[in-house]
This record gives sequence, C-alpha cells and structure tokens, in this order.
Amino acid sequence: MTVRAVADSSVGRVDGMKTLAKSEFETLIDGLIDDDPRSVVGPQRRSGQYVFEELDSAADLALEYDLTALSPKKYLLPQYEQLLTYERTDGEYEMHAGTDTEGVIIVGVHPYDLAAIEHLDKVHIDTMGDEPYRKRREDSLLIGLTMQSVAPESFAASMGAATTDSGYDLLVTDIGDRFVVDIGSFEGNELLADLDTHSASHSEVQEVRRIEDDLRGRFERELQFPPEELPTLLAEHYDDMEFWESYAEQCLSCGSCNMVCPTCYCFQVETVRDLGGDSGYQQRSWDGCLLEEFASVAQGENFREEVAQRHRHRFMRKGLYVYERYGDVSCVGCGRCTRHCVADVADPTDVYNDLWEATNA
Amino acid sequence: MTERPRVAFFDFTGCEGDQLQVVNLEERLFDLVEVVEVVSFREAMSEHSDDYEIAFIEGSVVTAHDEERLAGIRENADVVVALGSCAAFGGINAIRNDQDFETVTERVYGDDADMIEANPEARPIESVVEVDATIPGCPIDREEFVQVVTGLIRGVEPTLPNHPVCVECKLEENECAFHRDEICLGPVTRGGCGADCVGEGTHCWGCRGMVDTPSEDAYTAVLEEHGLDAEEIVEQYQLYWGWQRPERATQEEAQ
Amino acid sequence: MLETTETVRSEYEPVQGRIAWIEQFTDQDKLYVISLPDDVELDHDPGQFVELFVPGVGEAPFSISSSPTKDGPLELCIRAVGNVTRALDSMEGGDPLGIRGPYGTGFDPEALAGDDLLFVAGGIGLAPLRSMINYALDRSGEFGDLTTLYGCKEPAEQLFPEELQRWDDSEEMAFYETVDQCPEDQTWEGREGVITELIPEAEFDPETTTALVCGPPVMYRFVIESLQEQGLADDHIYLSLERNMHCGRGLCGHCQINELYVCVDGPVFNYPEVRDKSEAEV
Repeated sequence: MTVRAVADSSVGRVDGMKTLAKSEFETLIDGLIDDDPRSVVGPQRRSGQYVFEELDSAADLALEYDLTALSPKKYLLPQYEQLLTYERTDGEYEMHAGTDTEGVIIVGVHPYDLAAIEHLDKVHIDTMGDEPYRKRREDSLLIGLTMQSVAPESFAASMGAATTDSGYDLLVTDIGDRFVVDIGSFEGNELLADLDTHSASHSEVQEVRRIEDDLRGRFERELQFPPEELPTLLAEHYDDMEFWESYAEQCLSCGSCNMVCPTCYCFQVETVRDLGGDSGYQQRSWDGCLLEEFASVAQGENFREEVAQRHRHRFMRKGLYVYERYGDVSCVGCGRCTRHCVADVADPTDVYNDLWEATNA
Repeated sequence: MTERPRVAFFDFTGCEGDQLQVVNLEERLFDLVEVVEVVSFREAMSEHSDDYEIAFIEGSVVTAHDEERLAGIRENADVVVALGSCAAFGGINAIRNDQDFETVTERVYGDDADMIEANPEARPIESVVEVDATIPGCPIDREEFVQVVTGLIRGVEPTLPNHPVCVECKLEENECAFHRDEICLGPVTRGGCGADCVGEGTHCWGCRGMVDTPSEDAYTAVLEEHGLDAEEIVEQYQLYWGWQRPERATQEEAQ
Repeated sequence: MLETTETVRSEYEPVQGRIAWIEQFTDQDKLYVISLPDDVELDHDPGQFVELFVPGVGEAPFSISSSPTKDGPLELCIRAVGNVTRALDSMEGGDPLGIRGPYGTGFDPEALAGDDLLFVAGGIGLAPLRSMINYALDRSGEFGDLTTLYGCKEPAEQLFPEELQRWDDSEEMAFYETVDQCPEDQTWEGREGVITELIPEAEFDPETTTALVCGPPVMYRFVIESLQEQGLADDHIYLSLERNMHCGRGLCGHCQINELYVCVDGPVFNYPEVRDKSEAEV
C-alpha cells in the first residue's frame, strides 16, 4: 500500500523553494490558530525544558529549541487513548472503537523527529495497520524546521537525520532575516497560497545548503561507524552477556528511555470502568520494554526477567530487530534517552561505540 | 460478590486522609452508593453495621488492641482492602520503626509518655491479617479507588501498577527533579499517581511504596552521584518505607 | 499530508459473540463454545488465535480449538489463571462477549499435505493442537499416518475426555496418553510418566513424519531433544508458542521473541525459525 502523497514534480526540492518574511510566517501560523479547526502545536518553553504544546500565538513559538521533552509522536500516538468504548444495555454490549480522532498541525518539527514519524508511518500505515494512528496522521500537517540549536546529547548527524528532504508538508529554514521554505506536499503548497512569498533565489538556496552542511558538523556526539553496520554489530554481540550486564548493573529499569523515544511504539491496554453502570473503555497507553513485567504472561512466567535481558532488548530492537522487519535502524539520534536517563546508561553512542571498539580493537 | 455489595470503612492509626479522598469523590459519591451499599463510614455517616462484604481499612497497626480489632473485621469481611499507604505498608507511621521507642514516645508525649501503650513498630495490616487488595498512596488516588471498587464488583482481582513514577513523569513531560538538583524517589517508587508531586514542582517522596523489584544498587549510585552519603541515603528511604524496606530485605534474604 | 482513504472499521473493534454453551473439563479448564453473528465468518487456520474481550475486565488471546473443517461455533478451551479467564469462569451460556481475529500464523495444512503427522500435546497445549488434529482426522486422505501423544500432570487435569476416548478408539489415528503422576485420591489405569517417554514408543518414520508440538514452556526442549534422538530433522518440527499476544497485530511488543512477533510470525513456528532465538527458550 502506498500512502504517502507523491509530491508533484513541480514542487521538487530546488525550484519548489520559496522565501518569505518572518512576519509572513507568523501570519500563516496565527491564521491557522484562528481559522483551522485542528489544534496548532509547536515547541514552547515550559519550566526548564522545551515541550510541544498547543499554541495561542505564533509569538509563543520557541524555534530556537534544541530538543523537546517528548517528540511530536504524542499527537499521532497519544500517551493515553481510548481504543474502544463499551456499554451494556438490556443484555447486549455496544462496543465502539473511537472514531473521533483528529489531526493536528505540528509546527517546528526537527528533521530527526520527521524521520521518526516516517518510520512510524511505515509501521502503522504501510505495514501493520493501526486505524487510530492512520486517521490522525492523515489529517495532520507537519511543518518542519531546520535545527537552529543542537542538543549536547544528540547525534542525529550520525544517523543521517540532522537534515531531511522528506516527511514534511513544509520545511522552514531560518537564513537570518527571513525564512526559506521547502514545499513537501500539495497541502503544504496550499498553505502558502495567500502569503507574500517569492521563489527562493539561487543564493538563498545555497544559504540553506550551507546551514545544513554546517549543522552536520555541530554535533558533540557521534557514532564511530556508519549506522548500516549496526545490525551486524549487534547480532555479533547478542550473547555477550557480560557486556549487557555491565550496563544493566547501573540501569534503574525505569523505562524513561522507552517513554521519551520518538520511535518506540509498544503499548499496553487496560480497562477503565465507569463508576455507574456496566460501561467504560479500553485505554491504550505507552509501555516500555525496560519495565519489569513487559514480557511476562498470565501464568507468571517472565521471558525477560533480568534487567540485562531487557536492556539488551532495547538496543537490539533499535538497531537490529526493527531493521530486520522494516529495513530501518529505528534510532534517529535525537538524544532524548541520554538526556532523560537519571543513571546515565542510556546513551546509544556509548553502547554502540563500545561494541564497535570491542569488535574492532 | 453480591450485586450491590455491603461496604464498610475503618480507621486505624492514620490521618483519615484516604477516607477523605473517598468523600472528595463529591458528585460521584452518588454513583458509588448506586453500586455499593455503605454500611459503616465514620467520616461520612453515623450509622454502623457489622454486616459487610468489603472492608476498606485505613491506617497502620500500632497496638495490641488494633490487632484484635483487625482480626474481627477480617472475620466479618469477604474482601479486605488496605486503603492508603499506612494500611498498605506501614506508611509514614513507620518512620519511627528504626528509632528507640522510649525516646520516640518521650519526644512526642513528654511527661505523658508512660501512658502510651503501643507496639515498638508501626506495621501494615498485612502483618496481622490476609489482605485481598491494596490501594497505596498518601493520600490514595480517587480514580484508582473507583477502579478497585468497580473491579471487585466485576470479579476482577485488582493489580497494582509495577512501573516507577518516572514513567508517568515522562508521559506528563515533567522536568526531572534530578535535573533541578533535587533528590527524587521516583525511580524506585510505584507509579499510578500521575506523578503529580513532580508535576507540581516538588519531587517524589515515595508515598506509593517501592516497585516490586527496585534497582536499589543502581539508585544508590545515583544518589551518591548527587552528593548524598550513606546516612542521607537511608534517610531518603525512611519517610515512607520504614517497614517496607527492611521487610523486603528480609524476604529477599529468605529467598 | 497523506492521502485520505475512507474511514475503515478499527482493527481494535470486536464483534459481539455469545456463549452458546460451556463444557467443564477440570476444576480450572472449560470449553467455551461461542456463537458469532450470522454475517461474521471466522475463516481461520488451525493454530491461529483470537482476542477475547470481556467488557469491564479486559482482553486476552486464546488459541482456537475448533477445526475449520467443521462449520459451527467457535470453540476455545481456557484455563482460569488471570482476570479475563476468571471472569469467563463465572459466565454462563447466553452471556455476550467480544471477539476479534483470527490472528497469527497457524499450521499450514497444504504444506503438511502428504506427511505423517505426530502431534505432541502437553497439558493445555492440547487446546491449539486439537484444531489441527481434527482437521487431519476430517481430511485424513490429505495426510499420511496420524499419531497423537498427550500428557497432563494428573488424571484430574485431562481435557476433552470424550474426544480422547474417540481418538483412542479410532482406526484413523494412533493415540498414546500419559499422566506425570496419579495422586492417591484419583484413579488411573493408563500409563504414568512424562510425555517424552511416549516419543520412543510411538511408531513413526522420521523421514516422512512432521511433529507438531504444543505445551508448557518447560516441555519444548525435552520434546525436541527426544524427537531429534528419534531421527527427526529440525525442519520437520513445528512448535506452537505462547506469549502475551496483547494486541494481536504485531504492534504492542509484548509477545516479541527477539525480532519475531509471536502474534504475527507465530504462534506456530517451524523449529529452525526459533532454534537460535534465545528468548524462544526452545
């Protein structure tokens, strides 16, 4: 199944770029906030960190952000969502899967998060089929943003996700006094229709290229080898329990790395009952493979009882298992797991580089 | 369980804040009494009956009289639910468990200390009677209470979440208390509270008890990293876990 | 933005089925016969599973025990060990519940055509195998010799007693049965001992035989070893594995064995597919 709208060839990368004044961009966003029935969300500053939140005004956008607490995945696959409601009347159950899911206009998405959403699309729309995700995703607009700041924990350049030429409706790059916008879809093009834009000049396009090239060199962390080598490297070290245990000893098994990951999509479903009557709903919420009971079954057996097994599973999943199923290494190098790990053992560059050194020493 | 089970609330040593949470269901209280018949609830009504199926017990056990009374309730009830952290695992009362009992009573009661007849340790109700379900928290979470009640009616054995508070902090996008240079018990504390305390700008105090298998060594290393010495680390654990933590250690050793 | 297609029914919405009747086998195990709405065709392969939803309690995966060769209601043999199964245990004929599926990769009768089939069922592992056993009995012309080995802990844990008797009497299939042990308060005239002891006794030609195995996690290693000792090649062994197939759709992650999703790639695996996966524990 092909689901991605193929961009018209006339809105290709180079000749499709437009330039607009920053004030025009604000006009666009404020217009959407006022007129579009969908929520308009973007990165904002909130108590010590950046988060994607609903926008009251384009002026609240913190486009200088380096990394948000959670990725915009939360708008497509929410932390908590009703999968099914049930109600019993006269001995019959009415069971309805939610159909009121709504799309969102997400402003200011960095390329690594766009890459993560492309991967989630592949899993939830192209391959397995998840109706709540599909509906939200297809009703949503993604306005990407070339990174202005680089988080010290990030290594997106190593994962090829510091820049991107796909996965957005619009991609905005700040070139100083104005924005250059790349159009990624028909809907993206429509957004610009009423704005004062002009085709980007050769030098403006060159400036975007320069910013992108420069950006790739600004990362403090990096993978010491091409990510294509990850699957093989991990397969080689699967049985190296001493290695996995050395990390697991310091691991709190708290699941934070799973929760903040833009490509994690494991979930659990539980019943929430109404207090009055035989009714309620099935609630889906994010789950994490680092958590103790993730691989246990009703009879009590836990197939990943040891922290080291769970720790290994996480890294295997990111670099090997998902690759074997979908052809993607499912780490985009955002650095969120590193930032949020209280015990400081979640950094993929630490783990993967250590493995690489062990093999190539 | 009958269609509309008869329910009683009892308080032992505690602040009655958990029963207050039940009263605080406000308009949902009307829904509650549609599905259960409350026959005893000192905080909310004057009637009392000893004919009940579900007993909700708040507070910890601190006297010989508590033990007798608790055994009587167990006898009457089909289902016993520990309501709140004191009943569930000793809670804040157990803060005195590792201190000299006489010193404690003198400090609290001064010249009247002699009049206090209590056990040297505050204990959860499970140390005296069998407990069928637990709703931890200081105070309890109202929604969790509703789910336990509706579950019991529906024949569902209530299970406690076994993920640490960190999970909910991440889902709520709270700034990590450690990032604010605060000490937080979240990584080893049972979640299910929505991480409200961290969300409100403070840290997790451990009120829902420890997760089933806390990574204590890894956590101790984190605390040391944040400048705590051994004594200060134990102090962190002592606020709510004065009974639970040593008990866990004993059980682990036995295994 | 992606192309919008018309709204389709969510994969997570079950259809309402109804318990037609219940047959009690043991203290813990019952057969639930569930009728589905007239316009719903389950159309399953032997070895596939469904997600069963008890409103107000939750959802859980169960292997289908009935054979697709038989028209009629869906049959699930279920042991009361969790909240969903305990809730089922208190339900009666006529009670409604939700069903979605079938899910997973089951046995492939076409791939097995012409083979002698050796079924090895331990305890509740008989539930998923029964679907394929009855399929093979109903279409015995498509397969070679049929043999079933069944072992449970004690006589009181025996499932499908009447059917086992028919299998024992049948000319179409050789049937061997054992119990691990017979406690003093029960009677048992059959053999005692673990199921692996039946394997060398059963007569089968390793060249032409395919073994289909399902049982508790601890059983697999011993059964596989014993089958190998009898000369069975690894790719002549199929295993039906059980994990927490929470969503049934290859997404929630709970049933993963290394990169495999039991709910999609399994629950039936050819042994070489899982032989080197340490999390398969086989």
